[in-house]
Amino acid sequence: MLSIYTIGTSSLHRLHPLTKLTGALLLILATYLTNWPLVPVLVFAILLIIARIAGVAQRLTGTVLRLILPVTFSLFLIQGILFPPIGATPLPLGPITLTYEGLLFAYLIAARLLVLSTTILLVLFTTHPSDLVFALTERGLPRSVGYILLVSLQIVPDMTARATAILDVQRSRGLATDGALGRVRAIIPLIGPLVVGALVDVEERAMAIESRAYTASGPKTSLRVLADSIAQHRARTVMLLGIAALIIWRIATAIEIRIV
Amino acid sequence: MRGRLNSTALALIPLAIAINIAGGQLIKTLRLPIYLDSIGTVLTGVLLGPWIGLITGLLSNTIWTLSGLDAYALTFAPVAGVIGLIAGFASRFGAFRAGSPRALSAAIGAIFLFALSLFVVTFVNATPNPDGSLAFPVAADLFANTTNVIIFIVALIAGAALGYFVIRDAGYAGVAGLITGLVAAIVSAPIAAYVFGGVTGSGTDVLVAAFQASGANILASAFAQGTVSDPFDKLTSFMVVWLIVQSLPNRLLQRFPGTQPKVV
Repeated sequence: MLSIYTIGTSSLHRLHPLTKLTGALLLILATYLTNWPLVPVLVFAILLIIARIAGVAQRLTGTVLRLILPVTFSLFLIQGILFPPIGATPLPLGPITLTYEGLLFAYLIAARLLVLSTTILLVLFTTHPSDLVFALTERGLPRSVGYILLVSLQIVPDMTARATAILDVQRSRGLATDGALGRVRAIIPLIGPLVVGALVDVEERAMAIESRAYTASGPKTSLRVLADSIAQHRARTVMLLGIAALIIWRIATAIEIRIV
Repeated sequence: MRGRLNSTALALIPLAIAINIAGGQLIKTLRLPIYLDSIGTVLTGVLLGPWIGLITGLLSNTIWTLSGLDAYALTFAPVAGVIGLIAGFASRFGAFRAGSPRALSAAIGAIFLFALSLFVVTFVNATPNPDGSLAFPVAADLFANTTNVIIFIVALIAGAALGYFVIRDAGYAGVAGLITGLVAAIVSAPIAAYVFGGVTGSGTDVLVAAFQASGANILASAFAQGTVSDPFDKLTSFMVVWLIVQSLPNRLLQRFPGTQPKVV
């Protein structure tokens, strides 16, 4: 299965997936709906402490840095230094002129992206995809959507292996994959077999689904059982109230600004 | 889409999502300046209709995030959904069934590249107002400038050649791809501007910088960048799917309602 889940037994691993998802949503909304520059840093610090407890801090920071560095570089270069907002306060620094507003904008976007990616990856590192999807289908996500998500994660590695095989086969038959025109011409011989192979599989898979009575109506039972607790249930309620309060507060302040 | 997904859709959607990912990685080995990571989405839209295409696009980007391959993909899920949706409607109008005359493809290519060059030239010649909005030049002024006229003529000729020699008889699918690219640019610009500050950390950031240099704000620059680069990516995706659908045997196509002529 295609996944970045890291096996572990920490308290974060053992939490109910919905608890983790609600917490993640609360933290992301808190950084995106408030404008105070310190909020993302605080949230990131909290996330790092949680990651340390879960034992994934090292992998997490590595993955996040690889993701965030190119975007941050572009942001500071383009939005922070080259094209500051109109009417910004200049801060001369040697040969280049920085602006307070430009840097603040670049910092805010970059810090929010940092929190967004860290939160998402922390949940994915400590939650098995099957548990995550199962928890969501228990709360009303259509079963077919859950099925599609899990099957996709399972067949991507097979499909990637098939794609590599197609590349090797076509090259051994003399397919040129160099030169500008050659590379464009190579698209169809590479993608074609991948698609046709998949379409041939469709009928077999559809029959397998039918023969297991997947589309039959009526109650279904599951082998998978997720551990939940009253404390977690209460925590989720509190976090949902926090999310609602954040959104109401944001709408209220937005209206106030418009009136003023 | 009446009620629940049938077993054919349930079987095809995961395969299409896997094609998006594996196909995208395969194209990466060719080092082309296009992504082609929505071929599976276009394919399901064409074969099973617009709503299934929409679902495939949305879930495909969910998978990119869920698998950890691209943590930000989920924020662009609406864009992927719209691609599947338009592919489905295009297929309903027969864009993937019939071939078009090559002269029509040449006309389409010429009109499109002309419109694109007009768009870019207008943007580059725009002057920023003191309040930050843009004052666009009048069309007559643009045509009075010799350099611009040369650019327009080159665009017309290059577009006609592109249509005649590359799009060939996939004119209808080509138009659908170009329109999809435009809509994708409209849908993705606000997301790129508000979540990412207009940049993505990839090569297209150069275009964003170029448009901002002409005085446009972040949202306008993100939209302009999408308008310049998205249509070519979607055009290629739609044409790849068109070529594949043309080469499929009828026995295989019969299983999918989207490409069959409507029985009245």
